[in-house]
Amino acid sequence: MPSRTSLALALAIMAVSGWGVFSALDWPWKAKLFPLVIGIPLFCLAAAEALWAIFSKQDAAAAADFKLSEGLERDVVLRRTALAAGWIIAFFVLIVLVGFPIAVPLLVFVYLKVQGRESWLFSVIFTAVVWALFYGLFDLLLHLHFPDGWLLSWSSGG
Amino acid sequence: MKWKLALIAALAVLPLVAAAQPNFAGKTVTVVVGYKPGGGYDATARLLARHLPDHLPGKPTVIVQNMPGGNSIIAANHMYNVAKPDGLTIGTFNRNLPIAQLTRVQGVKYDMTKFAWIGSAANEATILAIRNDLPYKNFDELRRAKEQVVIGSTGPGANTHDFPLLLKDLLGLKLKIVSGYSSSADIMLAIERKEVDGRAGSYTSLKPFIDRKLVRPIVRARSTEAGLEQLPIDESFAPTPRAKAIMALRSAPEVIARPYVLPPGTPADIVKVYRDAFAATIKDPATVADANKAQFDLDYTSGEEAVRILKEVLSQPKDIVDEFSKYIKFGE
Amino acid sequence: MLEALLEGLLLVLQWKPFAFMLAGIGIGFWVGLLPGIGGATTLALMLPFIYNMQPVEAFAFLLGMHSVVATTGDVTSILFGVPGEATTAAIILDGHAMAKKGEAGRALGAALASSLVGALIGAAALALAIPIVRPLVLTFGSPELFMLAIVGLAFIASLSAQGARGMVRGFLAGGLGLFLAMVGQDPQAGIARFTLDTLYLWQGLDLVPVLVGLFAIPEIIDLVVRGTSIAGDAPVGRVSRGALEGVKDVFRHFWLTIRCSLIGTFIGITPGLGGAVAQWMAYGHATQSARTPEERKGFGQGDVRGVIGPGAACNSKEGGALIPTIAFGVPGSTSMAILRGGFFLLGLVPGPDMLTKHLPLTFSLVWTIVLANVITVAACFLLLNRLTALTAVQGHLLVPVILVLVFIGSYTSNSSYADIVVTIVFGAVGYFMVVAGWPRAPLVLGLVLGKIAENYLYISVARYDAGWLTRPVVLVLLAIAVGVILYPAIQAWRARRRHA
Repeated sequence: MPSRTSLALALAIMAVSGWGVFSALDWPWKAKLFPLVIGIPLFCLAAAEALWAIFSKQDAAAAADFKLSEGLERDVVLRRTALAAGWIIAFFVLIVLVGFPIAVPLLVFVYLKVQGRESWLFSVIFTAVVWALFYGLFDLLLHLHFPDGWLLSWSSGG
Repeated sequence: MKWKLALIAALAVLPLVAAAQPNFAGKTVTVVVGYKPGGGYDATARLLARHLPDHLPGKPTVIVQNMPGGNSIIAANHMYNVAKPDGLTIGTFNRNLPIAQLTRVQGVKYDMTKFAWIGSAANEATILAIRNDLPYKNFDELRRAKEQVVIGSTGPGANTHDFPLLLKDLLGLKLKIVSGYSSSADIMLAIERKEVDGRAGSYTSLKPFIDRKLVRPIVRARSTEAGLEQLPIDESFAPTPRAKAIMALRSAPEVIARPYVLPPGTPADIVKVYRDAFAATIKDPATVADANKAQFDLDYTSGEEAVRILKEVLSQPKDIVDEFSKYIKFGE
Repeated sequence: MLEALLEGLLLVLQWKPFAFMLAGIGIGFWVGLLPGIGGATTLALMLPFIYNMQPVEAFAFLLGMHSVVATTGDVTSILFGVPGEATTAAIILDGHAMAKKGEAGRALGAALASSLVGALIGAAALALAIPIVRPLVLTFGSPELFMLAIVGLAFIASLSAQGARGMVRGFLAGGLGLFLAMVGQDPQAGIARFTLDTLYLWQGLDLVPVLVGLFAIPEIIDLVVRGTSIAGDAPVGRVSRGALEGVKDVFRHFWLTIRCSLIGTFIGITPGLGGAVAQWMAYGHATQSARTPEERKGFGQGDVRGVIGPGAACNSKEGGALIPTIAFGVPGSTSMAILRGGFFLLGLVPGPDMLTKHLPLTFSLVWTIVLANVITVAACFLLLNRLTALTAVQGHLLVPVILVLVFIGSYTSNSSYADIVVTIVFGAVGYFMVVAGWPRAPLVLGLVLGKIAENYLYISVARYDAGWLTRPVVLVLLAIAVGVILYPAIQAWRARRRHA
């Protein structure tokens, strides 16, 4: 799995750097120097990693970085990962449609109820607290501005 | 009994009159600034936000919302297409946006002349200043210089770059422009290090360094501020009318240095209220005191004047615009 | 000078400035804690309030707020794996790993103690440097700054895994970061590079949404997948004992702490490098202190040295960054730019005057940093139990809250939905990098240093032609860069020799 992801990433970088180098060719030399100096080696390195990923049996030592927790079966992991990604994107869509002030309590409540399987009372109270903090901090104190969201703009004829 | 009738009539009309007068009591006015916090546009906006409520009917709360991006084209697009013309949103952005419109920069979705203009909160005089210990004491000596004078700049589109560029390409000054500095403050540091010999920029930002005798002003653009009247003007040395037109075009937005607009279609009475409020705020001694502390000068230019200048800029003939685009690119 | 030093202290200890400092600390505490909401935005919001204050009070307020942001930012990074600030991302790598092992108390203790040491050293540097500050800053011209950026990039080697393939991946990540740094309008020819025809990308990729996406999103996904609390099944343990252990660690590795503090101070002093670099260089340096390859692998799994390094550097750079701001009016970071605005508001002109006429005020700034950090660290220690208890809270309660804060943090810097898109995109990138075993730190380094390297190179060449290569400081820095790149290889070679 790590090898295949590594291959995918390497191919992606080859694509990006290839496109970058290609776009840069038309520019005046001052604008294209760095993109070329970086893009071409990047392409070569990515190609090297891709070849390594395809042909090497052993995986390289993992980097000094965060590791995802092990210990769960693959299908569980895949399912839950897709779920997590789904929640994140859903939240974004929600924000765009109805704006932060509504999306925030809505997300918190739905997440607690559906994913967390908490009771109604707890969900409501928790959501209320979060919403109060959100409102108090961002609106009252910091005067930060959050737009209304597309649905509301359409309906008010904006 | 006629006076009773008159009284009733007057009372009947009064609420109508009161309703007709825009009143912002209990509301929040947002100033959209096309820059991140910390810069000149943002500082001016925050200063005005602090004092504007006293001069707006109903004393609303005025807050600042930063919307940087695309060199404030995003903020201008927002003001033009998204913000509601109800007087609760005003915007300020890069003074060179008319140039962006003129040179058809991609992404421009506004028409400067269609905004409901409040006006400009300041003039900006652009000057070129060089290090004090250089042997050139005035513009004539600089013109006759035999060695290259190195000028630091941030990048195309900024007056740190464009002003000396025209001096070099149109007037033939022996300047070498080195660009890429992150900010004008970094260029000042480079001047102290003798890495560069000078920079162009707004008088306001250069004043502390002129007072400190690090640099001296040599030449200015059309717009002027107190103390600069004697400096020679770049346009006056232009060898051809076309060169003069190009320099004039570059410096035209400087009179509208801190533009403030309302969305297009804002009712005329609201626009008038804002114009009066701005004029009053800028004259208010409290505002002036704060502005002095912050070392900038506020000066109200009316919306009508702003629109007049804009129309002039945007009606330049195509060949001048094409020639202009060869030198000046819209940017930071 | 000694009298000015004492006078500065007395200025801060008066009740009004002190009260304002506490207010600033109170606000900064929460700003640092909240991911994405930058110290810079809040500084800008607070500026209007200082119009009516006296200079000492105003700076006590602003600096009090600003000094503690880095410390509490570390807390968020360690506990939740979400960068509290752009400058506290590096500490996530080992700090959060420790939290997941149930060692949150120890990590926090180490972070707090190293922050304090770092802040003290930064403040001391500020005070001591005052006589030599002008010649010091003036020595660093564009060629030297370019070389410094190269040194920073050289640390990519330390941040990568061992072995040739590890290095390739590290430099791939770094190269990608450098490439992403090219997005935007270039300052030489004014061409819009790689902007995909959007206005949003015209000014380049903003660091905060990228960082938040790269680090926070994989963590959130992992939390959902695990379905447990952050500490999982590991016993949270006796927190206070853990914290004490962390403090002892800082003193056990005292010289590392000092060195990383100095790195941070130095980066802070050189205007133009930006604050985000210091933590990564310190982290890279900390990994170099591993004596064997096995030890080296421990980094990223919860080695306390990976907490101490960035913790110290982050706070020390604040003291360092004040130096160019006060002495030259050249801000070392956005927060400093806003602070400089504060100077003007109060009628002060940063420059030589601040080091002569207004020396007591300058020293009061130093004392404010010291006191603010001491108070914050003390407050954090007191709250330590409460804070670490959060790692035992069920994941599904934390996920929505963290997600909300992450999205808000990402949105508010530019009031743009596009930033949230960037966060999500880089969240995906970060996730895949973690799965594939690629290091993320080099990407951040490349992104932060790319533009600086390019600009200073052009300025150096335009100004000095080829002559800049032979400047003494440039050559020294080049040697350091080479040394940093070769260090892991040398270490591996020596380890093999020892085993042979």
